Amino acid sequence: MKKWFVYCMLMALSALYAQQAFAQKQSHKEYASLKITECNSCHKSEGVALNHDADWVRGHRVLAAKGEKNCAECHDQAYCLDCHQGGGIDSKLSTNNYRRDYIPKSHRSDWLEIHPLKALDNPQSCYRCHEQKYCSQCHSKFQSSSLEFLSHRRQFSDIKLTNVGPNHASFTTAQCQTCHPGGMLPTHAWAPDHAREARRNLQACQSCHGDGDVCLTCHSARTGLKVNPHPRNWGSISGNLKSKSGGRTCIRCHDSF
Amino acid sequence: MTIKWSKRLLLAFSFLTATNGWCADLHGRSSTQILSFINDFNNGRQIELAEYLHFSLTNIDKANKFSVSGYGRGSQDLNNGDGINGRLYYLYGEYRDLYNVLDTKLGRQFVNLSAGTTIIDGVQMDLKNVGPVGFTVLGGRDVAFGVNGEIGHEGNYALGLAAYLTGFKNTDLDVSWFRKWDAGDVSRDIVGGSFKQFLFKNVKAYANARYDLTSEVFNEVLAGVKYFPTANLILTGEWYQSYPTFDTTDIFSVFAVNRYQEGVFRADYTVNDVVAVNAGYSRQDYGDDGTADVYEVGCRLHPIETVSVGLAYDRRQGIGGHLDGGMFDVAWDATKKLQLASGLTVDAYSRDFFPSSSGSQTAQQYWAGGKYRLAKNMQASLRVQDDINVTRNSNVQGRFIFDYDF
Repeated sequence: MKKWFVYCMLMALSALYAQQAFAQKQSHKEYASLKITECNSCHKSEGVALNHDADWVRGHRVLAAKGEKNCAECHDQAYCLDCHQGGGIDSKLSTNNYRRDYIPKSHRSDWLEIHPLKALDNPQSCYRCHEQKYCSQCHSKFQSSSLEFLSHRRQFSDIKLTNVGPNHASFTTAQCQTCHPGGMLPTHAWAPDHAREARRNLQACQSCHGDGDVCLTCHSARTGLKVNPHPRNWGSISGNLKSKSGGRTCIRCHDSF
Repeated sequence: MTIKWSKRLLLAFSFLTATNGWCADLHGRSSTQILSFINDFNNGRQIELAEYLHFSLTNIDKANKFSVSGYGRGSQDLNNGDGINGRLYYLYGEYRDLYNVLDTKLGRQFVNLSAGTTIIDGVQMDLKNVGPVGFTVLGGRDVAFGVNGEIGHEGNYALGLAAYLTGFKNTDLDVSWFRKWDAGDVSRDIVGGSFKQFLFKNVKAYANARYDLTSEVFNEVLAGVKYFPTANLILTGEWYQSYPTFDTTDIFSVFAVNRYQEGVFRADYTVNDVVAVNAGYSRQDYGDDGTADVYEVGCRLHPIETVSVGLAYDRRQGIGGHLDGGMFDVAWDATKKLQLASGLTVDAYSRDFFPSSSGSQTAQQYWAGGKYRLAKNMQASLRVQDDINVTRNSNVQGRFIFDYDF
């Protein structure tokens, strides 16, 4: 039954698209010098979405990545890279620059201070222009104490065993299991706070703890609390990670895998 | 048989003489820039001299099928010890319409598929006019830019394949596969797709997805509808979700993460030649009861033909803190040769998760500039700005640019 449904859908779509095949796309090279407002009178009458509308910056991603894109009929690659990679060959007066790199309008006012908030609006948007290494490279140039998150206020190393006892900094990771067998923690707030923050915004953790060593203090299978950090579908994906990374990620925490 | 170097040189000269009959067109821009700014990494004032070069060489062959394009910049810090810096954005040769079915680009270039985007030192080939489906294959060394120069290393490669519907006026559909290597290991393995359909002469439905083959999750999914009842009004509704995924060679790839979801509603209305307005709302969900609401409004005014005024404001409230801010800019074409512009951005914010800067802060930035066309192929511009924020009471920076078109 399911098969027949798929066949019917395919036939219906084929019929629909065969009809549309007669409506060919045309080159836009000759319209390259037109004002955008002039494009829209034609687009609307043809039933085609308005061209380069006010929402274009946010929405152009899908069209620019599709197979049959026609961006190159009006723009060269410099047009893309000036915005995505900091170039400034044809910058407007309104375009700001940070150091030698030109930056888009979204990077406004005191970007160093507000970018942690702006980066929360669709965390993937940063990676449209920056590699993950870029974050680590930049953060490594600042003092880590000035970049602390809320959860870091109660660092476990500062927590005392008793009201007057030594704090956790005086113990090694090999001693964790003595008091916390199986990684069991008391109910102080650090653990759930940092777990929530990490799950919501793991890229932020990576930007300061690029090699993850501080995470492995508790999340390694070898030492410390040995808290399992893996996602729920780990059983089905661990083999993928192992084979694709050549096991070099696994070996960070496991003797055998 | 070997040819001595002197004979090789003579042979090369013979090619030079042949250029008498060569009438290739070389066009582009040279942009010489002087930039002054405070370097946040060492708090010193830095003066940099930068030279951009952007060119295209066409009409190389009779049929004008082969062309060469390039774009890059070099910069030299003059006083702060940052030294020489450079980025080669692209430099490729392109041969179009081989047997009317194949376009080929060879060299450093920006590549963009629904499954992934990068810059490669390699080749992209597009097979077209072979039916209702076109094909793209690309591959090469993966190039990434860092704070200073390139940050890639040996063994970084990228490979992509795409198949897409072609020639359909109202429909776009493509599927693609994109893989990256890091030091010889597969670091990314993504299948992507995008879809667009115009309906009823006033609706555009679109979607885009990236599926991470390693983590077996949809790295990104976007589905949206744009409704344009008149030529001046666009209503947009979108749903988006993403899972942050990391290179398999990165330890963060083994950690559990939450799904991020976002719903967007937005309206853009061009009232007339003088006024265009927009407003939007998005609801963000970060999992574990973490949410945020973002509101934005904006307008663009053309009170007279030579003046353009822009206003934008957005407000974010929710997980992480709050942000109220916006920007204002005005540009005036004082004469055919002279443009003057100015603007400001203001933000009031508090970041919940940073104890060292708890409480509300404000940031202001003011700028002004002018651009003057000295000749048909020459222009100069000057821009100065000042920042007043939690870090500095005043941070003046500026740039002077001289452009020469050839």
